[in-house]
Amino acid sequence: MKNKKQCVAMLLAGGQGARLGILTESMAKPAIPYGGKYRIIDFPLSNCTNSAIDVVGVLTQYQPLKLNAYIGSGSPWDLDLAHGGVYVLPPYVKGKSGEWYSGTANAIYQNLKFIEQFTASYVLILSGDHIYKMDYNAMLQHHINTNADCTIAVREVPWEEASRFGIMNTGADNEIIEFEEKPANPKSNKASMGVYIFTWDKLHKYLTEDAANPNSSNDFGKNIIPNMLGDEQRVFAYDFEGYWKDVGTIESLWEANMDLLTLPMPIDLYDKKWRIYGRNPGMTPHFVADGASVKNSLITEGCEVYGRVDHSVLFAGVIIKEGAVVIDSVLMPGAVVERGACVRRTIVAEGAIIGAGSEIGEEKGDIAVVGQDITLPSGTVVKAGEQRAK
Amino acid sequence: MKNVMGVIYTGEKDSFLRELTLLRAIAAMPVAGRYRVIDFLVSGMVNSGVRNVGVIMQKNYHSLMDHLGSGKEWDLHGKNDGLYILPPFLTRENVGVYNGALDALHSNMGYLRRSRQEYVLLSNSLMIFNANFKKMFVEYRKSGADIMMMYTKNPDMLRPEYGTYLNLDDDQNVIDIEIDPTKPQYQNTFMEVFIMKKDLLLDLVDRGAAHGYHDLTRDIFQRTAHDSGMKMVGYEYTDICFRLDSVQSYFEFNLDVLNPDIRHQLFPDDRPVYTKVRDELPARYLGDAHIMNSIVADGCIVNGTVEHSVLSRGVKVDKGATIKNCIIMQDCHIQEGVHLENCILDKQAVIKQGGRLIGPKAYPIVISKNMVI
Repeated sequence: MKNKKQCVAMLLAGGQGARLGILTESMAKPAIPYGGKYRIIDFPLSNCTNSAIDVVGVLTQYQPLKLNAYIGSGSPWDLDLAHGGVYVLPPYVKGKSGEWYSGTANAIYQNLKFIEQFTASYVLILSGDHIYKMDYNAMLQHHINTNADCTIAVREVPWEEASRFGIMNTGADNEIIEFEEKPANPKSNKASMGVYIFTWDKLHKYLTEDAANPNSSNDFGKNIIPNMLGDEQRVFAYDFEGYWKDVGTIESLWEANMDLLTLPMPIDLYDKKWRIYGRNPGMTPHFVADGASVKNSLITEGCEVYGRVDHSVLFAGVIIKEGAVVIDSVLMPGAVVERGACVRRTIVAEGAIIGAGSEIGEEKGDIAVVGQDITLPSGTVVKAGEQRAK
Repeated sequence: MKNVMGVIYTGEKDSFLRELTLLRAIAAMPVAGRYRVIDFLVSGMVNSGVRNVGVIMQKNYHSLMDHLGSGKEWDLHGKNDGLYILPPFLTRENVGVYNGALDALHSNMGYLRRSRQEYVLLSNSLMIFNANFKKMFVEYRKSGADIMMMYTKNPDMLRPEYGTYLNLDDDQNVIDIEIDPTKPQYQNTFMEVFIMKKDLLLDLVDRGAAHGYHDLTRDIFQRTAHDSGMKMVGYEYTDICFRLDSVQSYFEFNLDVLNPDIRHQLFPDDRPVYTKVRDELPARYLGDAHIMNSIVADGCIVNGTVEHSVLSRGVKVDKGATIKNCIIMQDCHIQEGVHLENCILDKQAVIKQGGRLIGPKAYPIVISKNMVI
């Protein structure tokens, strides 16, 4: 019984995140930098470690290079274990045929053998799309106590936004009686967070049945959950309160970064009992020069600031030259803003260089994006909402 | 370099650093906002290709052990070789207190013998520099010498009544060694780093101990230079280096790092300095922050005025506080309206509302660890 684990986590990290435009052209969404030193995937991985869940399968498919390199042995999250730890699970060839993951349920179905190795009683399904701190172990205890077949984490959303989410209609004891994907007239404001716990034999049964159905789109929300509800299985909601932010669009990614600049910080990242871990770039502490000005901002190691930074988030190794102004912006690792350039309401991707005197973004309007590793010549103008790729 | 093992001796005399070394070895002193002195040596060795590093500890070694851990941050946690922490221990002939590096090496002969490497790179931990030891090793092999000693001509390293100075002939042969002279005659400061064959070191240590010697430089090298039984040569280190042998030099070194030229020389892109990671979020500046010419580590929250200072990880500077020419170690809290000038605050110190501490530039005020003022 050496391989026995109570719960195995499966993290769906294969999505492209097309709504993030040029930011996800060369990397999967969970690898997107967030908050000055993290990547989105740090949140579910750190939540697992902090919840004492020490087997995490990461299902990759779209542009996995950056994500694979970032996860590595899993040591930043203490997931480099002799028994368990983090496993990257790309689609693979079976016999004469090979196939891509055709949906969220299919990705797990293709890796049932992986889960079986650990003879786990429960499987936690996660996605790499959200910024939140959550105790999965508390949810697991709830799942066990209610003797549920499936537990879905839900969060109350404002009623006017409920029609954008997968909504759970619950009865007594928070049992889910109906699931509606983006309902026009929502009957509840409990939205699914895409965090599920399944009892192993039920998951196995429903995934196998789903795989045999050629008409299924192999998706948890569209197929597995409705099928279980149809069979009157015990499906419960688990209420989550606290910060939870989808970072699926340029606007929401920018907002999630700006959230860290408000007081008090809506998600407490100083919490020593629930640290968010990440791979550390290992650079010197940042330097702010004479004549520079920094206010209302987050700045991390390796940065050098000679210009003005206001209400912005600077990732590792960002350089702001003399006379440059950065306002309401997010500058990802290694970005450089040359002399006299002005950057407003913009996300500047990794390694982008903004030429001297450029005018990037505008005070109002949509967020501008400067793509990865692009070098903008002096005097470039990028309008609000514009995306400039290499 | 796979055939070279590194040994770092951290037991040197440290009383001149006053309160700062009361609770820790010099090697464990926090510097430049997020590092410890020993990080530069260990990283330099690892970046040069050394895969086996032993750290000999003497007193107050808890903070050093805590910092180095398994050696993971330096990629020294392999199955073979890696990082070896060598604290003092008691045996019949060993009382656990080293009177010098020779004593320490004698106590750790077992480790030296067991290691597979043929050569030893031995270093003290009083100096800060980011060396490419590979270059030195190449020179050592070319020279045909028995022992190669690293030195610098940097005039800032000359100290009255303190230090080891080498006299070299035109072929870099060491012909005389001066130890702690009132006025150094020679301009070549020994950086307390040398390379030799492991078997030779074992032999010298064994014979030295048999004669009741304690000090490697004084009892072995100095005598050898005179007896000229062995070929000892110098290796000039030309890059930037600093010596931490007084509160003043500690203070100046940290402020020197504010100079971009010095910083880029000490932290070149191709030779990163690794250290223990704390996983803190980036430094956060609030609306009333005024900051200039300072380095600030992650986890800080700044809402006051900071000028020409070094803030280590997790420091809080409240609204209306002013910090000028200060070295603030990790997790200190400087409250509203406080005014600090020319101070060194050790870890977790708290300066309460309205406090005012202004030291003379030449003799900075040192606030000990955990003090509340």
